[in-house]
Amino acid sequence: MIFLKRQLPLAITFVMGVAFAIQYYVPHPVSEEAITNVSKWMQIISGFALALGLASLFHVHAVKIKRQVPGWGYSLVLYITMVVTIVVGFWSRGETTVDGAKTGLGWLYDNMMVPLQGTMFSILAFFIASAAYRAFRARSREASVLLVSAVLVMMGRVPLGQFLLPWTWDVTQWLLNVVNSAVRRAILIGVSMGQVALSLKIILGIERAYLGGGRDQ
Amino acid sequence: MKDFARRMIGIDRRIIFLLIAAAVLLPLLRPFGLPIKISPEVRAVYDYIEALPERSVFLLSFDFDPSSKPELEPQAVALLRHAFRKNLRVIGMTHWLTGTGLADDIFSRVAAEMGRERGKDYVFLGWSPGAGSLVIAMGQDLYQAFPSDYQKTPTQGMPVLAGVRNLRDVNYMVSLAAGNPGIEMWYVFGKDKYRFEMAGGSTGVIAPGLYPFLRSGQINGLIGGLQGAAEYETLIKQKGTATAGMDAQSATHFVIIILVLLCNVFYFVLRGEKGKAN
Repeated sequence: MIFLKRQLPLAITFVMGVAFAIQYYVPHPVSEEAITNVSKWMQIISGFALALGLASLFHVHAVKIKRQVPGWGYSLVLYITMVVTIVVGFWSRGETTVDGAKTGLGWLYDNMMVPLQGTMFSILAFFIASAAYRAFRARSREASVLLVSAVLVMMGRVPLGQFLLPWTWDVTQWLLNVVNSAVRRAILIGVSMGQVALSLKIILGIERAYLGGGRDQ
Repeated sequence: MKDFARRMIGIDRRIIFLLIAAAVLLPLLRPFGLPIKISPEVRAVYDYIEALPERSVFLLSFDFDPSSKPELEPQAVALLRHAFRKNLRVIGMTHWLTGTGLADDIFSRVAAEMGRERGKDYVFLGWSPGAGSLVIAMGQDLYQAFPSDYQKTPTQGMPVLAGVRNLRDVNYMVSLAAGNPGIEMWYVFGKDKYRFEMAGGSTGVIAPGLYPFLRSGQINGLIGGLQGAAEYETLIKQKGTATAGMDAQSATHFVIIILVLLCNVFYFVLRGEKGKAN
């Protein structure tokens, strides 16, 4: 069992990790055929991951409803809407339109999903305004720099600001292209180096958290 | 003054909500239509499409869902109008499962408006799992990655895909993204390996994070948020919902700026009082 749970996954990870790191630099037909096949496997695995996620979601919320933990009503709403969507989806054979007419699934998408997601996102505008009013204060030198930049970018990114203070447009472009790019690049390089290091640790079997726990570990 | 400042700092947030609602609604009801300035990053996308020969292959990836519809739908509509006007062959797809219906709706609507035919002038491939691995699969063989389109029509032999085997045959690609999977993923798994030119369109929130890719030439242009969409509408000389929404965005930005400045004035009034007390 230890072999199946530990050695075999480690061996597969090592072989596949090394092989496909090399594959990127080898344009031979055999290498191209290998990446074509592997990308298909990865797509199939991604599909299964989706099904697994759905099953896990059903399980987690079923337990919450059964035990009537605080907020279990939300789980019930989620459960009912998921089941209704799945039933309607099967009934509509997964199609949102048939011969130009909306199916039940199409109706659910247009009249539930689109407005609900739009509402959730648009509420942000109100909360951001309220949070900005309370939190955006020049408490320190750094906070003052952030405050001034934010006000300039907010002016320079809209026609009214460009009309009233035309120079804010150029300042905004400079802030985005120079200051913002430099900082973002530094963060990106740091994150990427971390990702490379973590990938190497996984390929070489140093990082094993992905194997999970268990008696045989 | 200090009492007033104290009261104003703790103002009921519902008043702020009301101010924001008014700033959004009033300009939509009575637009003031200020001119839109064009940024170099948006012009770069327009110029590249403008320079493409007729029947070139243009891939548009709708990497967003309904929550980002107000910002990214106008970008998609403007890009599709431009591509169809230039008589390009357009391939559409999405990496976001919940955005599939929305993307198909936008595609069908703009194609009908421009008198374009599905299968001949454009194809919508829909969604398939895998994100990065899907891009690799498309880069190796488009027909294996998508054996049929969203309407279940086999992709092999479609006139719109004549001469297209994989991503290497795509002349230009734009990912309209609200997050990940999106522009960065398309660059890492797609452009870097299969060598096609690409640009990005994004929500205003994630646009600043994409400037390093723009500055390094990894993407040749960037349409950021509603402002970017309005700029593109101005370039193609066909105003749409983005241009209409810019007045509301202008007003909202100004309300927030005034609120922030006022809050700081009150903050300094109260801080002065504290300083004296100490």
